Amino acid sequence: MENILSIKDLVVSFASDGRKDRAVAVNGLSLDIPRGGTVGLVGESGCGKSVTSLSVMGLLAENGRVDAGEARFAGQDLLKLPDRELRKLRGNRISMIFQEPMTSLNPVLTVGRQLTEAIRQHSDMDKAAAKARAIELLEHVGIPEAATRFGNYPHQLSGGMRQRVMIGMAMAMTPDLLIADEPTTALDVSIEAQILRLMKDLQRRHGTSILMITHNLGVVAELCDEVYVMYAGEVVERADVFTLFRDCAHPYTRGLMASLPRMTPKGQRLYNIRGTVPNLRAMPAGCRFAPRCELASERCHAEKPGLIDLGGGHLCRCFLRGEAANHE
Amino acid sequence: MAKHIVKRILITIPVLLGIVLLIFFMLNVVPGDPVTVMMKEHLKEDVVENLRKSMHLDDPFFLRYLRYVLDMLRGDLGMSWKLNRPVTKVIAQAFPYTCRLAVAAALFSWIMGIPVGVLSAVKKNSLIDHLSMGVSLFGVSMPVFWVALILQNTFKNVLPVSGVSGWRSYILPTVVLGWSSAGRIARLTRSNLLEVLRNDYIRTARSKGLPPFTVITRHALKNALIPVITVMAIQISSLLSGAVITESVFAIPGVGSLAVSAINNRDMPLLQGTVIFTAVLIIAGNLVADVLYSIIDPRIRVE
Ligand SMILES: Nc1ncnc2c1ncn2[C@@H]1O[C@H](COP(=O)(O)OP(=O)(O)O)[C@@H](O)[C@H]1O
Ligand SMILES: [Mg+2]
Repeated sequence: MENILSIKDLVVSFASDGRKDRAVAVNGLSLDIPRGGTVGLVGESGCGKSVTSLSVMGLLAENGRVDAGEARFAGQDLLKLPDRELRKLRGNRISMIFQEPMTSLNPVLTVGRQLTEAIRQHSDMDKAAAKARAIELLEHVGIPEAATRFGNYPHQLSGGMRQRVMIGMAMAMTPDLLIADEPTTALDVSIEAQILRLMKDLQRRHGTSILMITHNLGVVAELCDEVYVMYAGEVVERADVFTLFRDCAHPYTRGLMASLPRMTPKGQRLYNIRGTVPNLRAMPAGCRFAPRCELASERCHAEKPGLIDLGGGHLCRCFLRGEAANHE
Repeated sequence: MAKHIVKRILITIPVLLGIVLLIFFMLNVVPGDPVTVMMKEHLKEDVVENLRKSMHLDDPFFLRYLRYVLDMLRGDLGMSWKLNRPVTKVIAQAFPYTCRLAVAAALFSWIMGIPVGVLSAVKKNSLIDHLSMGVSLFGVSMPVFWVALILQNTFKNVLPVSGVSGWRSYILPTVVLGWSSAGRIARLTRSNLLEVLRNDYIRTARSKGLPPFTVITRHALKNALIPVITVMAIQISSLLSGAVITESVFAIPGVGSLAVSAINNRDMPLLQGTVIFTAVLIIAGNLVADVLYSIIDPRIRVE
């Protein structure tokens, strides 16, 4: 299938004050998003999911830099595009929703203003037409009394409502690709379900491809066709969603699965992967997950595993490969 | 909102009375007999005695305070001992000079300060940034009289340096007075803007494909200027109450000069009047700042 976005060997690093060496946050990541598909990018906090998506959008913080790689979108490499050209795509062909609905909208501009400016930036609609379109968008994302809400300020809306506004804004130009960076993490579970349903619905209606960034495998199961599991700036496993939930291969993915609430029998304590994500400046020499892995051998600590195809596009970065699944 | 403003205005009443009490108390423990001030030393004892009585100088402190406040509420700040004219009239005559200078200095500081602050923030750590922040630090930390003297010396052949004769007389005092405010506003604008630019909603604005200029002006500046505007409102009220040093150095007959001559002449009612005038202006400035704040920031407006 044709890919709407194809990231190859992306390397992103950050400078920090008073240090010569740069901290590498994303280390050679490759990821494909098929047209019309929904791809999940999963991993614990701090493993480089946001940095990956921001690099693609050209929205990295000032101290961040793409050191290598490419991101092909509609025949163009987004990473090499001048800002002028990239701006024509942002909010138009590619949009993004962020994690924090409480802080992602400008507090001193009305919701309507923030919607219409996105519309008018990429079309030649006049004020009235843009307003009509914005109200229509608000209705589409399920905001009651859209015409009134148009004149509201963000603080007058609940978190869920604000995230709906963000989604409406992102869908304003019916983009080809929607990058959603943990869009429901800050929301209640019931609101989360509503937002996910809304995204699914919009995708069905417009055929938008989605990159769904989350640390929640439940969200992946709900929404995604394919999943990339990321750990410490690298992809450690890639599979279609059925394969992943049926027999995931990487010990890290297994750890994530085990920490899913609904997979735990009643009364049993929730599983937690021991330890924490390694420091960017002190990466293990061998497998980056080895220090936390219950199955790690000497080889895992000394040598770095590559990404191996287990068949059918199921990729895994582990010496133990599928064997890990049979232990425990 | 209206309720908020009314409440703010009501709060200023006790504050004002307290300030008047404080000023009144401080100035009344200072030695200096008005009668000797007015009449020099050539007076007979009984005349002095009569005068003291007619001016109620021997009444108890609290009674005099009460009388002063009641008069004040009727718009009467007493008679200047030295000039023998109502203090309100004297201040009203000086105020236009101060007012012109204050408005000019405020405009100067905004027109210089805000763009420089924005430029420094946008070009953070560039040569322009270091240069303008250096200059503004210089502006903030230089003593006013020193800057005034240097400017007077440099421009004495081109511009008037003393007294008021047409608008050109205001140029140098405006620069002197506006300079340090400009520096303060530039630095404040820069730091606020840098702070605001780190916010999530700036990233959202950029993610919509808005050009950098729009992101700065529409999304960042309005948020960044909220605190700057409050500072500006307070700044203009303090400028309006008279720039003592600048007015003296350039011999501008404004409220600041008035206060200086009142001190020199031990003219208590006039001094009291100018100080209270200053206090009222500053309280009003704070009030205006507060109201402006709530108009600009919708989060406060609704409450
Ligand atoms: N502006 C930055 N400067 C320095 N380090 C950063 C910056 N942004 C992100 N990082 C680092 O990059 C790593 C990945 O961050 P991120 O992509 O935000 O993780 P997540 O997977 O939770 O989205 C983290 O270690 C984080 O500290
Ligand atoms: Mg993140």
